[in-house]
Amino acid sequence: MSVQFFLQQCLIGLTNGALIALVALGYTMVYGIIGLINFAHGDLIMLGACLALSIVTALGLAAAGPTATWLGIAMLVVVCGLFCGGLNLAVDRIVYKPLRTAPKLAPLVSAIGVSFIFMNIGLFWIGPADRSFPELLPAANLLPGEGLQFTWKDLLVVLVVVPLMVALSLLVKSTRLGKAMRAVSQDATAAALVGIDVDRVIAATFFIGGFLGGAASVIYGLYINTIGFQMGFQNGLYAFTAAVLGGIGSIPGAVVGGIVIGLVRALSSAYVGERWTGAIVFAILIVILVFRPEGLLGRRTREKV
Amino acid sequence: MPILEVRELEAGYGPIQALHRVSITVEEGELVAIIGANGAGKTTLLMAISGIVPARGGAVLFRGQKITGRQPHEVVRLGIGHSPEGRRIFPRLTVRENLELGGFAQVDRGQVGRDIDEACGLFPILGDRMGQLGGTLSGGEQQMLALGRALVGRPRLLLLDEPSLGLAPLVVAKIFEVIAGLSARGIAVVLVEQNARAALRLAARGYVLETGRITLTGSGSSLAADPRIRDAYLGE
Repeated sequence: MSVQFFLQQCLIGLTNGALIALVALGYTMVYGIIGLINFAHGDLIMLGACLALSIVTALGLAAAGPTATWLGIAMLVVVCGLFCGGLNLAVDRIVYKPLRTAPKLAPLVSAIGVSFIFMNIGLFWIGPADRSFPELLPAANLLPGEGLQFTWKDLLVVLVVVPLMVALSLLVKSTRLGKAMRAVSQDATAAALVGIDVDRVIAATFFIGGFLGGAASVIYGLYINTIGFQMGFQNGLYAFTAAVLGGIGSIPGAVVGGIVIGLVRALSSAYVGERWTGAIVFAILIVILVFRPEGLLGRRTREKV
Repeated sequence: MPILEVRELEAGYGPIQALHRVSITVEEGELVAIIGANGAGKTTLLMAISGIVPARGGAVLFRGQKITGRQPHEVVRLGIGHSPEGRRIFPRLTVRENLELGGFAQVDRGQVGRDIDEACGLFPILGDRMGQLGGTLSGGEQQMLALGRALVGRPRLLLLDEPSLGLAPLVVAKIFEVIAGLSARGIAVVLVEQNARAALRLAARGYVLETGRITLTGSGSSLAADPRIRDAYLGE
């Protein structure tokens, strides 16, 4: 039944898109605040997934009962979030901060270097072969009837991504830190001149972006069920594309871009064929950027007078 | 003790030395003007006092305490406000958010609210524009917002960089009227201005900065009467 098939693909696309959006936020937040494309972000998430796998294995979560499983997942999200947030913050301190006043190319190349370092740590951690991430959640369909499939795994994505995004938008909109983040992203010098500790705000941004990535890494493991040391590159690329598509620097843009990319990926895999997915996603990106260089929700950058 | 003492300050960018042994003092509540041509180093001097541009030599003392080498946000929190050249308000924050950020370092939120009300008392137009984004304001309104934002920080010393640049005469008059009133509130001011005539009329004292060096100093009226100044900066 074709309508049902289409709806099913959309559902898959939305769930995948939510996951991409969570990663895209890490790119867009860091870009928004210091204008850096953090190429290491995808590999940071790969390391988060390695940690999640190690914890799941060490605790034997695959054999745990339902309550222990859900508690375990909540714990994984927090621990991997803190791990990736802390690691991102440390990289900023050690690598990017000394290059704050250097030409933009220097931190960019350093980010590529960090990406390689992370990838090699991942290789050392889980080995060269792809590893299967245990199925922790029952495969039962939550929707009535035989048609559409929406399983516990899909629900998990919604349960993690939606609250995190709501929390992030509240933080940016109404807290003192959020206001400081917006001020720094608009004019760092002016922000310093009203008494904002710019370095601390940047550090907080790296931490928050990393935390979201860490949460995404757990969902990735539980949802896709395969991780590998090279997973960061491709997933990072899709998430970065989502951020650019939505308008890099824009938080709602990253969410919209992630969902659009998720839908396009699911639909093109279903109707055109898996092998064309990459080409179609990037063709759409190019077309959109030709007509709207600032992305879907981005601002048109104006020359300063 | 002067509120601000700049001692033989050296600063620059890369190979360019922008300030050569610049020394100035500002007394409590005093309005001091710095005049000079484009590129003389006026903005660099203010940026070096705030810690945005690092000092390469010499020292800046605020109420007797050495502040050279401190981070800009620490300098601000000591009580030095800085309204930078080009206003630099936050274009995609509302007028209210811009003003609130002026009081970022204040612990007492109620006090910040009262200070915002006070800034709106000085510039009533800001009160009408509270919910608007900063970038949608006219140039004059943005300058008022920049001044208001700096005042919400409750500075003891205010550094003002070209507050009249590019503004209509009526707006300039309003801005200068507020600046003139700051001394009465006990706020010392360092005023950098291209409009030397207006600046020297307001200022108790002035300094002339030429290619990074202080070449002349005196009371506002004596500088305004000095033939060299009249010739070079007042266009007479």
